[in-house]
Amino acid sequence: MTEHESENFERQLRRTRPARLPASFAARLLAAEPKPSAGVESAPPAPSTADYLRTLRRSLRWLIPATAMALAVMVAWHDTSPFTSRPAGSPAGPAAASPLLKADDVKIDQRLVSSFDAVARLPGGEPVRFRCENWMDQVVLSDKSRGLVVENRKPRIEVVAMGYETY
Amino acid sequence: MNSGCHNEISDRADWESWLGQHAPKLLLFARQQTRSEADAQDVVQEAVLESWHRQTDGAPPAAGLVFATIRRRAIDLGRSADRRAGREMVAAGEISEVWFDGGVEEREKSRLIQEAMSKLPENFREVVTLKVWGELSFAEIAVVLEIPANTAASRYRYGLAELRKHTIGIFP
Repeated sequence: MTEHESENFERQLRRTRPARLPASFAARLLAAEPKPSAGVESAPPAPSTADYLRTLRRSLRWLIPATAMALAVMVAWHDTSPFTSRPAGSPAGPAAASPLLKADDVKIDQRLVSSFDAVARLPGGEPVRFRCENWMDQVVLSDKSRGLVVENRKPRIEVVAMGYETY
Repeated sequence: MNSGCHNEISDRADWESWLGQHAPKLLLFARQQTRSEADAQDVVQEAVLESWHRQTDGAPPAAGLVFATIRRRAIDLGRSADRRAGREMVAAGEISEVWFDGGVEEREKSRLIQEAMSKLPENFREVVTLKVWGELSFAEIAVVLEIPANTAASRYRYGLAELRKHTIGIFP
């Protein structure tokens, strides 16, 4: 086929329009209109299961690093806090007031150990696919001036719904 | 209050207009990807809403994004074991749904085009559908099908030539 024939044929094909939507499906799509996220005064619609799962997934993204950072800050604070109990007879004065650990390097690492898929059904019978992932979270604090390294490793299982949304 | 109502009406009108413009071609593509009318409709609805929710500015999603989501969803659905029996049943029998519109005179032509399209190899058919009825560029088709744009263009040429052979009686 020449370029001209091909363009002509394409034009002829385009004259045949895709079939209109079946009425029931058109009504279903119209009813499923996505709501704007802001700027509408009416009350927001009740969140569906899929919305909950989406929110949970979004929260996990920042919750894990934030938890690791909070842990690092708590460790540093605990070691320097004047309220932390010290053994009797421990030296007082300027030397004792100096922090035990001054972290000059903090490393936060997440490693995927394994991953698999599982399928479950909601009470309504709708199938939902879950991606199950085993992670190893690691926080390493280093105080190079004193040659101290504090390492904390924690296994974590993350379950993410990949599944079929229900409306 | 008034502006809220106006927004709602305007959003509703935008939604209807967007559906009117895109939904038929999305359903056409989904029908070819799923081989079951119920699955096709589910996949279109899920893909449209998913793509729409992914837009951070609230604007309608690009058609290419929705086509890509339809394809991904259809692949996920195809992997589901409990759908296999139904799919095989449909594949073995006649395709019941009508892919194209047509008046009284055009109905036969539409039927013949549908028949010719269903004879095309799947990788040609999806490119032809996305180009002719989806109105996507080769670059957009490449993203949807996860293939190089040159491959999309070459499949289109072969697909169109093949389709021409099958429809020579309709388009002399």
